[in-house]
Amino acid sequence: MVDVPMRAHGRRVFFQQGTVLKLVVVLILLLLIVFPLIRTVVFTFQPDTIGAWGDVLQGRLSKNLFYKPLGNTLLIGAIVSTGCVLLGGFLAWLVVMTNVPFRRTIGVMATLPFMIPSFAAALAWGTLFRNDRVGGQIGWIQGLGFDVPDWLAWGIVPTLIVLTLHYFSLAFTIIAAALATVNSDLVEAAQIAGAKGRRILMGIILPVTTPALVAAGSLCFAGAVSNFATPALLGLPVRMQTLSTRLFGMIEVGQVGRGYVIGILLVIISGAFLWAGNRFISGRRSYATITGKGGHAKRFDLRAARWPLFCVAMVFLLASTVVPTIVLFASSFAPSSANLFSGWTTHYWIGTSNPSFAQGIPGILYNADITRALVVTLALGVCVAFLGMMIGLLVSYTTARYRDGWLSAAITQFSFLPLLVPGIAFGAAYIAYLGAPIGPFPALYGTFALLVIAGTAYLLPFSVQTGRAVIQQVSGELEESARITGAGFLRRLASITVPLAIRGLSAGGILIFVKIIRDLSLVVLLFTPTMPVMSVLAYRYASEGFAQFANAITVVILVISIVATLLASRLQAKSQPWLKD
Amino acid sequence: MLEIKNLTKRFGTFEAVKDVSISVPDGAFLVLLGPSGCGKSTLLRMLAGLEQASSGQIIFDDQVVSDGDKNWSVDPAKRNSGLVFQSYALWPHMSVRGNVEWPLKVMNMPTAERKSRTDEVLTLLDIHALADRYPNEISGGQQQRVAIARTIAPKPGVLLFDEPLSNLDAKLRVEMRTELMRLHRATGATTVYVTHDQIEAMTMATHVAVINEGRVQQFGAPSDLVDHPETAFVATFVGTPPNNIIPVKKQGDGVSAGGHVMAMEPPNDDCLAMYRAEMLNIVDAPTPRTISMELVETSAIAGRMMVTGLSDTLRLTAIVDRLDTVRVGDTVHFELPHQPQSWFSLTGERIE
Repeated sequence: MVDVPMRAHGRRVFFQQGTVLKLVVVLILLLLIVFPLIRTVVFTFQPDTIGAWGDVLQGRLSKNLFYKPLGNTLLIGAIVSTGCVLLGGFLAWLVVMTNVPFRRTIGVMATLPFMIPSFAAALAWGTLFRNDRVGGQIGWIQGLGFDVPDWLAWGIVPTLIVLTLHYFSLAFTIIAAALATVNSDLVEAAQIAGAKGRRILMGIILPVTTPALVAAGSLCFAGAVSNFATPALLGLPVRMQTLSTRLFGMIEVGQVGRGYVIGILLVIISGAFLWAGNRFISGRRSYATITGKGGHAKRFDLRAARWPLFCVAMVFLLASTVVPTIVLFASSFAPSSANLFSGWTTHYWIGTSNPSFAQGIPGILYNADITRALVVTLALGVCVAFLGMMIGLLVSYTTARYRDGWLSAAITQFSFLPLLVPGIAFGAAYIAYLGAPIGPFPALYGTFALLVIAGTAYLLPFSVQTGRAVIQQVSGELEESARITGAGFLRRLASITVPLAIRGLSAGGILIFVKIIRDLSLVVLLFTPTMPVMSVLAYRYASEGFAQFANAITVVILVISIVATLLASRLQAKSQPWLKD
Repeated sequence: MLEIKNLTKRFGTFEAVKDVSISVPDGAFLVLLGPSGCGKSTLLRMLAGLEQASSGQIIFDDQVVSDGDKNWSVDPAKRNSGLVFQSYALWPHMSVRGNVEWPLKVMNMPTAERKSRTDEVLTLLDIHALADRYPNEISGGQQQRVAIARTIAPKPGVLLFDEPLSNLDAKLRVEMRTELMRLHRATGATTVYVTHDQIEAMTMATHVAVINEGRVQQFGAPSDLVDHPETAFVATFVGTPPNNIIPVKKQGDGVSAGGHVMAMEPPNDDCLAMYRAEMLNIVDAPTPRTISMELVETSAIAGRMMVTGLSDTLRLTAIVDRLDTVRVGDTVHFELPHQPQSWFSLTGERIE
């Protein structure tokens, strides 16, 4: 059977396998992520902008420009991350380790807040608690005749509460995952040794899950200090500034140099905490990865505390998801926030322009701005999801198959860089990067392309993470066996890797879609009236006092997010004969 | 003819394969035998073209397919070779037929010819009835057959196997061994087969290369390895049960072996004595030629008894007729014959 002659001659091997691919990927990442950040830094060191550093750090204005916002930002970071770890940890403990009633329901509800846009809860808070301090509509509670004090209506306290109720679900996810890996044998061994509940918690469970607690804390810190929507909606009206609202304000009024300096400082602060958290975790042995038979045969018996603890958990869970959703929904029909549940009108949805109503702004259906924003937002979501998954797949493929060498290390570092950069600072960097013409290329400010490129770059860490999970399911040998048959790189990708990974890829794509359509902080600086997106429109309406429109748009975003998520699970369930058991 | 000349593979500073030279005629069944991590799979991957050699040449049928010195390589697909992976690497989203057919599609075989070739190999491997099933719907042994069918469908001149039987249970392994040898006769393809199981090597090979730490310890016919091991490593790695190696040290007229002084004439002051298991005997009481050990294992084999004793780090295995009176944990006395089968230096080389 040795009847097939040798078909071709060989060739010189100039590069190690994968070197060309690695170079292409590095180039993409440099263009998307590294250059914008470098460009921003370089911009602040130009002769006419270098003074901005002095203004921000030690000038006459520095107290207002930087130090007071810095104080607020750090306060928010410290309190929110502490609150999130306590609340998320408490819920994770209830769900994973105890016999609290409706464990699964609590578990599902605790992951929901992170699925809704962070400005939804802030808008809902305003709808409920606004008082008459800054004029405009009053909230529902004031409308009932109660007097809402300023500290509860505006500023730091509501900001802290809203952010904690948003980010705790991130902490919950991380801590619950860690607790779930604590082998029940560990707990039983402690029980046999004679330890009681409290002792087991302090002596076994807490030390074992410390890395997860630190990770949760540092991620919540980074999220809270870079959040823009909540302090902007609840703090700006009473002149409470954080670094992100300051950055936004500076760029809005054209003091770009100062804005960028504040942005760079914000990146350094949130990056430093993430780095420190990471250092702490990698410095010690990770216990949480010890796997065993798992399965918590025995749960802590809460006895009489079962129902009281259930009620405590439900208060937080309802306050973080159900109440905001109901309030936003009701508000989009109510004539004013003060009368949330009476005299409903459909004007904000399907009304035509009427000078006696909301200054003549037509309802969502007839509002050209909003419908255009809807189209732009959906197109943006689809483009970013598609482009993001393509690049994410390419990056994770490269690092998974050709792991060695400094190029691979650089690829990994670059692709996760945007995690350290708050969205609003990333948006600012992209204005610095593509806002002005580069050589023969025109300025992209105000174009759809800028939104797509910036969105793709910003969400790349998530696409790479998803891509990596997907690639790891497709073993290297499946691809090598295709290589031996003579199939080229693209053919292997199209016939082997992508068909096997399509479920993960589509789920990942939808996740990115949902993330970008509900994002505010990245797009708020890239927004132009010709290229409007839903979230920024909602923010603008809210800050101009048209709460109903803002809330109605937010409801639309919520609905799209939920539908997309359901679609993702449908897609995943699509029957694939090779996956049958 | 398949020729490997001075082949070396380095990963950074680590040398996985060191200066390997082997040559076998067309139609040979070459087994690369060695413990895990010895470099045998790396060698196979270089033959397949998945890794580029750091130096040395690989020659298939007088054509150089890989030259590490010139950094020159023929694409895996153009080497006229096929590889069966340890994990089988069946594409899970393709049916059995699809798995076998796809490589033919890639090489642009005309449709009619492709169909008939696919049917032919499916029948050859007795899996035609499973053609429309998916890999996760068939058993491990059947998956193995699909992997082989997929590899031989393009009629490669060189067939490469990476520990193909290690994922099968013992009974199936014996069946597949027979099947693979039948297939080797049917196709006539030169076969290179990687395994850590010396029984597979002894039963299937026409040529065996025993590899340890990246080096070929001995290359020859299976019977050569058993009759005339070149190194102490080969002596202990090949054969069932493995040969016994006892370090001896010259002392007065005799030697100290396993803590006992006995009469012996070693070629050097310090060396290793090799005894086949059937050369050792178990006796009731200590004599000047015995080593006393704790009995740790007994096992019935083909009507005889395999007995293993342990004393400090020395482990001896003997094959004896019967042994009814002692239990595991008792002390037994292993009697050594006057001359060992062969001598090895302390570094493992054979002393003639």
